[in-house]
Amino acid sequence: MTTAAQIRMKRNHLAPGLLFALLVLTSVGLFFVPAFIIRPFRPQTPDALSLAMAVRQQAPLGSLLTAALALLLALFLWRRTSTWKKALLVLGVGLASAAAVMARVDYFEWMFHPVALPGFESAANVKLDPAQMVMAVRFGSDVRAYPIRAMAYHHVVNDIVGGIPIAVTY
Amino acid sequence: MGGRALHFRLAGINNQNFLMRDEETGSWWQQVTGRAIFGTLKGQVLDPVVSDELTFGLWKQESPAGQVLTPVAADEGHYENDWEPEVQRLPTPLSFPGSGLQSRDVVVGLDVSGVSRAYPLNALSAQSPIQDRLGGMPILLVMAPDGKSVRAFRSRLDGADLELFRKSGSADWVLVDSSSGSEWNFRGCATMGPATGHCLEQLPALKDYWFDWRNYHPATTVYRH
Repeated sequence: MTTAAQIRMKRNHLAPGLLFALLVLTSVGLFFVPAFIIRPFRPQTPDALSLAMAVRQQAPLGSLLTAALALLLALFLWRRTSTWKKALLVLGVGLASAAAVMARVDYFEWMFHPVALPGFESAANVKLDPAQMVMAVRFGSDVRAYPIRAMAYHHVVNDIVGGIPIAVTY
Repeated sequence: MGGRALHFRLAGINNQNFLMRDEETGSWWQQVTGRAIFGTLKGQVLDPVVSDELTFGLWKQESPAGQVLTPVAADEGHYENDWEPEVQRLPTPLSFPGSGLQSRDVVVGLDVSGVSRAYPLNALSAQSPIQDRLGGMPILLVMAPDGKSVRAFRSRLDGADLELFRKSGSADWVLVDSSSGSEWNFRGCATMGPATGHCLEQLPALKDYWFDWRNYHPATTVYRH
C-alpha cells in the first residue's frame, strides 16, 4: 500500500536522483567528449578540436568537483533508497571517479612513453644501421642526431643544444 | 618562448598530426606548425630550427664527433624499424583529390616567404638535383646518393643565382655550378674551384605525407618537371 507520505518521499528523491545522474554524466562527459573527438585516424574539424581542447582544459577541476558532489549526493541518498538503486549509486560514483582520474592523466603517454631525460652517446660508439634515418641539428660545434626509429615512438624529445632549448618532434 | 624554456608532452592527435602541451602553461601546440592553438600562449609560434633528415651513415660521415640520442632502454622494444609500409596502409583522416598525388605520397615541402610548394619524393629521386624558383628565390633541392637524405638550399651566392648540376663522369657524388665550375658537396659547400670555402644557405624542408602538407599549406603548388 502506498501512503501519501511514501509518495512525498519518492517525489523528494526524484530531484536529487536527477541531479545525481546529471553530475555523473557531466563528469564522464568532461573526460569522454575530448577523448572521443581527438581519437586517432578520425578527421577533426577546427570547431570540434577547439571544443575538445576547451573541455579538456576544464576537465581536471570540473570532473573532480562533479565526482565529489555525486559522492556527497550518493551518501545523502544511500539510506533512503532501495537495494537496486544503491547499485546505481555505486555505479554512478564509480564512473564519475574514473572520469575524474582519466581527466588528470595523459593517456597518450601510456602508449608512447615520454623521454624523461635524453641521453646521448658519441657517433663513433653507436651501433646503428647506416641506412637508418636520423633527424639532425647543428648549433655551432654542437651536432646531434635523433634516430627516427626512436622519434617515431616517443614523438617528442625536449633537449638543449648549444644552449638553446629545442623540441624535436616526429 | 619569451625567454622561458617550454617543455612539451604528447597530448593528442589532430588529423594525424600530433598535439603537444607545454608543462609550463598547459597551452596546446600543433606539431607541424609549432603554433599554439589553444591556451594562454595561443597564436604564438615556436622558432623553426633548420634540421636534416639523413641516413645515419651520411650523418656520421659529416659529423664524426656528433652525438646520438640513446634509446630509452625500457621502451626500445617498442621501437620499430619497418613501420613505414604499415603506416602507408593506414587510412588518412583527410584527402585532397585533384593534385595527382595520393594522400600518403611523401613530399618534400618548402615554404619560402610564405609561398609553398611540394616536391614529390619520386620526382626528386628521378631528377636530383632539382632547380626551381619559389617566392622569388632560386632553389636547389638535392637527394644524396643514398636515395634517402634530402636537403634544400637557396642557390644564390653573393647576389648571383647559381645553376648546379651533377658532375658527369665522376664516381663521387659532386655538383658543379655552371658559372664558375666550382664543385659542391651535399652540405651545399664548395670544395673545389673559385667558390671554395663558400656554402649555400640551407632552407628548412619538411618531409611529409601529401595530405598533411596540403592541410597546413592550403595554397601549396606541386612541383612537376
